[in-house]
Amino acid sequence: MRAAVILLAAGSGSRVGHETNKVFLPLAGRRVFTWSLRWALQVPSVTRLVLVIAERDRALAEAVLAREAAGADVRLVRGGSTRHASEWNALQSLAPEIRRRELDIVVIHDAARPLASTAVFADVITQALAHGGALPVRPQPGLVPVDGTTPPPGHDVVAVQTPQAFRARPLLAAYEQADRAGFVGTDTASCIERFTSTPIWCVPGSAHNIKITFPEDLFLAEHLLAQAHWDLTSDPGETP
Amino acid sequence: MTVEHAEFRCSACGQTAEHDLRYAGRLLESTRCHACGHVVEMQPRALLPAYLHDLEQRVASKPARLLQRASDDRIGFLRSLPGALARQPLKLARELWTVIWR
Repeated sequence: MRAAVILLAAGSGSRVGHETNKVFLPLAGRRVFTWSLRWALQVPSVTRLVLVIAERDRALAEAVLAREAAGADVRLVRGGSTRHASEWNALQSLAPEIRRRELDIVVIHDAARPLASTAVFADVITQALAHGGALPVRPQPGLVPVDGTTPPPGHDVVAVQTPQAFRARPLLAAYEQADRAGFVGTDTASCIERFTSTPIWCVPGSAHNIKITFPEDLFLAEHLLAQAHWDLTSDPGETP
Repeated sequence: MTVEHAEFRCSACGQTAEHDLRYAGRLLESTRCHACGHVVEMQPRALLPAYLHDLEQRVASKPARLLQRASDDRIGFLRSLPGALARQPLKLARELWTVIWR
């Protein structure tokens, strides 16, 4: 079984000044995005890595990869104006291998989540192979559906994380259909749900798998990495 | 002290704005929002233990990192080694100064 990991690192595209894309910021001795490469590469079935970047970050990305992911074969792909467009560009770069059946699973991961452990990558890949698609979720008991109804027992509102994994051929087919229909999904699962009947399996997410959104998140990520002795090749467990 | 600039959503003013990020060694020491001036910084009493813990890991992983660089580019590594060694004491002193006396 062979899997490709697509790491979304293009950012919002709204930057106009000299500021750095946050996934290229230093975090405990590495750039934010190379932590994800490190954990994903520990999964034996991961044979292909695609890094989606803004064109302006290309030189920086190449320099960082040479220093922090030397020896890893990482394909650089130009991002689009939306997350969906970036995913589509990356999938198009993988399309020949998917059609030749050289890839079974495609994993899509947000580079702003540097603490997704090797165990989470392995889990979604395994479940996607078994069921069609898999994504990590965290129960959010404090939230209610937007229509104000109370979810029935066992149907809690959940927060969806990445990495999200899917069988490669249905995923490519869904994005090809979306392209023809002019559909722009909010995330990978929304496109799969719209154009296929592929079941999507939920796996337990981790409270450690934070998304770097606020500056405070960098402090927290730094602390969590130190607490795990900078090693997330096994599941670090829940936040104390 | 290294300073980086990046766009973040500010937890105080809610705007997505440029932030200054100040690092002491590998550790983030403080951030400041350009829109509202909101500063987030690590408490001095927390920074020193965190820095020392981080320094321990840096020292422990240094031989492996040097070996990796040497195997990637032997000539470039040998050329840059004397300068890198010469800079280390000053670099370390500056980091400690930042951590202890900020």
